[in-house]
Amino acid sequence: MSTTTASKPGPVGGAIERVDRTGKLIYGFLRRIPTWVLWLMVIVWSIPASSLFLNSFRTRDAQRNSGWWESFNEGGWTLANYSEVLGTEQTGGLARALVNSFAIAIPATVIPVAIAAMAAYAFAWIKFRGREWLFIVFVSLLALPNQVALLPLLQLYAGGAHWTIPGTEFTLTLFPDFDLAGSATAVWLTHTAFALPFAVFLLHNYISSLPGELFEAARIDGADHVTIFWRLVVPLSVPALAAFTIFQFLWTWNDYLVAITMIGSNGEAWPATIRIASLAGEFGLREHVLSAGAFVQAGVPLIVFFALQRFFVRGLLAGSVKS
Amino acid sequence: MGALGGALIGVVIAIGASAALFSGANWLFDLAVDRWRTFLAASCALVGALVGAVIAGNDVAGGPLWLWAVIGAAVGAAAGLAASLLGTPSKPRRTRLSERGRLVTFLGPSLLFVALGLVIPLLRSIYLSLLDSRAEAWVGLANYGEILTNPNSLDLSGWTEIFTSRLFYAALVLIAVGLGIGMAVGRRRGRAMEALPGSVGPIAIGLFVLSFAVFTTLRGTVINNLWWVVVVTGLSTALGLAAAVLADGVRGESVAKSLIFLPMAISFVGAGIIWRFMYIARPPQKPQTGFLNAIWVWLGSLRPRTTGAWVAVLILALATVLLAGLCAFGVRRRQTAFAIGAAVTAVPLLWLIYRFLGPGLGGSVPGPTGEPIAGTILFLQEAPFNNVWLMVVLIWIQTGFAMVILSAAIKAVPSELIEAARVDGATERQTFWNVIIPTIIPTITVVATTLIVLVMKVYDIVKVMTAGNFGTQVIANEMWQKAFTELNFGLGSALAVVLFLAVVPAMAFNIRRTQRADA
Repeated sequence: MSTTTASKPGPVGGAIERVDRTGKLIYGFLRRIPTWVLWLMVIVWSIPASSLFLNSFRTRDAQRNSGWWESFNEGGWTLANYSEVLGTEQTGGLARALVNSFAIAIPATVIPVAIAAMAAYAFAWIKFRGREWLFIVFVSLLALPNQVALLPLLQLYAGGAHWTIPGTEFTLTLFPDFDLAGSATAVWLTHTAFALPFAVFLLHNYISSLPGELFEAARIDGADHVTIFWRLVVPLSVPALAAFTIFQFLWTWNDYLVAITMIGSNGEAWPATIRIASLAGEFGLREHVLSAGAFVQAGVPLIVFFALQRFFVRGLLAGSVKS
Repeated sequence: MGALGGALIGVVIAIGASAALFSGANWLFDLAVDRWRTFLAASCALVGALVGAVIAGNDVAGGPLWLWAVIGAAVGAAAGLAASLLGTPSKPRRTRLSERGRLVTFLGPSLLFVALGLVIPLLRSIYLSLLDSRAEAWVGLANYGEILTNPNSLDLSGWTEIFTSRLFYAALVLIAVGLGIGMAVGRRRGRAMEALPGSVGPIAIGLFVLSFAVFTTLRGTVINNLWWVVVVTGLSTALGLAAAVLADGVRGESVAKSLIFLPMAISFVGAGIIWRFMYIARPPQKPQTGFLNAIWVWLGSLRPRTTGAWVAVLILALATVLLAGLCAFGVRRRQTAFAIGAAVTAVPLLWLIYRFLGPGLGGSVPGPTGEPIAGTILFLQEAPFNNVWLMVVLIWIQTGFAMVILSAAIKAVPSELIEAARVDGATERQTFWNVIIPTIIPTITVVATTLIVLVMKVYDIVKVMTAGNFGTQVIANEMWQKAFTELNFGLGSALAVVLFLAVVPAMAFNIRRTQRADA
């Protein structure tokens, strides 16, 4: 790519050649810069998490008195932080919080996948009036900030919905009070609603690109929508379903906003994110277990991430770039 | 483990009930075609049971719920049977009804959740935002007026100071340099302006610095949100693009990309905790345990005219000479942009040399005895730049997202296009700027839009790291505090609606994109 100047032999040409060789040397050095910059960036990006990871294995005193970079000389390694943070409510209580996290993330993943796949199939392959604009509604809800729904939903969970018929004393219960506020159920119900626009959009992108002749043939053979959906669409859409499942699981596992809103101060039902955030809020008191706590909370998503990165990336791509 | 057991049983029941409902509905609509009478009786019984339950649930009539449900079902079934005696609709009509019902079973659950969980709450939020704090009296737009006039959320009073800040002048210089280069190169090529890295780069950085001049002067929650959007969207996209380009085809590409992408798997809360440890500041006489302050204090301990400082100056001087050489090389090769890039990179190095020789660099402040002692940066407390340190956390997370999407887009650029450019004699850099970048512009727009929507709602990071104190409040955190801590439903809803209005352009963009893709 560098243009070589044809140089004549002789004193002048020799000088030019020498300068040119220096130039090439510098040019070669320059060509390598991008790679160096990339690895520098990788190191910078890795420092925060790996330094906290090191710290999580250091004793309270070691953490308080020196930085993690000293740990290679000083030692002071321990696993006590992990047992402490997983232990009782007084020392951390993260074991219970992890269970709660699963209790929220599993239904909040399984249910949206199931009902969104059905809706995506309907949008893609069942013709009905108003299909386009209904789908537009779903797409426009993609960007809706969850904050606009939090307060009304909490009111709905806490007291149901009632309507006093104007001019009368009679109050009609539109939605009964199931006493959901403060429970994991309220959290995953909310997650299900919030996830649907994205889920339908992502799965629709995939399902609508499946070969239509296949479904036509199945219909001619007498298969109804349920059979087609169950026997053809679901098996063929496994990549997209897996991508969304992983994406949604990570999202709900890592969620803090919905959980703190719907559960509030009911520590029994707190997922891991709220637990470590409350540890962080105590400023210094139990700071030595905080790094261990952060890694216990991040452990599940990191395992999922490393094991299934391909699917996760595919989910992101399908969700943001229409192929 | 009781909680998990209970939850799992709940999940199994929920899924089982949904599956039963789904197959029950399908079975029902199967009946509609072949056994009209059974279908009519069963569906009327269902409606009757529901009506009975509603009546009992609202205490219109006494008695247990189940009793009224059974009575309703019986009445409904009888009515259905009676109606079926009147005649049976033709087969095509029954088939159509069955198809309609099938559609409802497919779409119904999603529509129900979206309506109950998103659409109706959105409308109710808008309604609540027009009421007072106890959601009792109509106050019109007073809550929105409060947001716009409260100095905590929007304080424009210091706007004249924009024009006296150093950032402002730095921005003007950068923009002028960029325009100058663009016009100079453009004149040579017979155009008014030439868009090339040497001109676009300084202008972009200049505008970025200009935004800093504005956002550090004007204060308030709304301003903070805009600042977050500009900085996080801009830097995440730019760094993600850089990482995607740099990693393309390099040995170890997947490892590098995995490590940059890894923060995406960590929760915002976890990331906030991770970075809090990076930002720790301890009293100056104690050893620093936060990585960034440790570096800062170490730099400060390199006093002017000591061995350490001289070594640093030597290294910096060598680097500067090297850059000067590169600049000369660029001029010789007629690569203006390249020469300017080298020269611009040398400027901060010169500044560092000056600091080392002169006032000293890094965390060093005069102590009580006049001897310099370590000075730390209170990353989370010192306004207004603590906002930037919080943004770093989100940039750290979202760069991986931008990188993954843009990397896929770069790899999807048709190789014939690149080959054709190469055959035409384009250099690698020209290929990049004139072929690859224009091809992936739509993807860059998508990434930026996604990030804008995400950054607009930033909440967890601020909550965990500063709880909105020290001038770092953002709308989402303010909304949560107002609605759920202070129980000011009117103002809380109004703030939520402001967030909603802020993403309406992004919604329109999404809709347009979908419509174009369908066409």
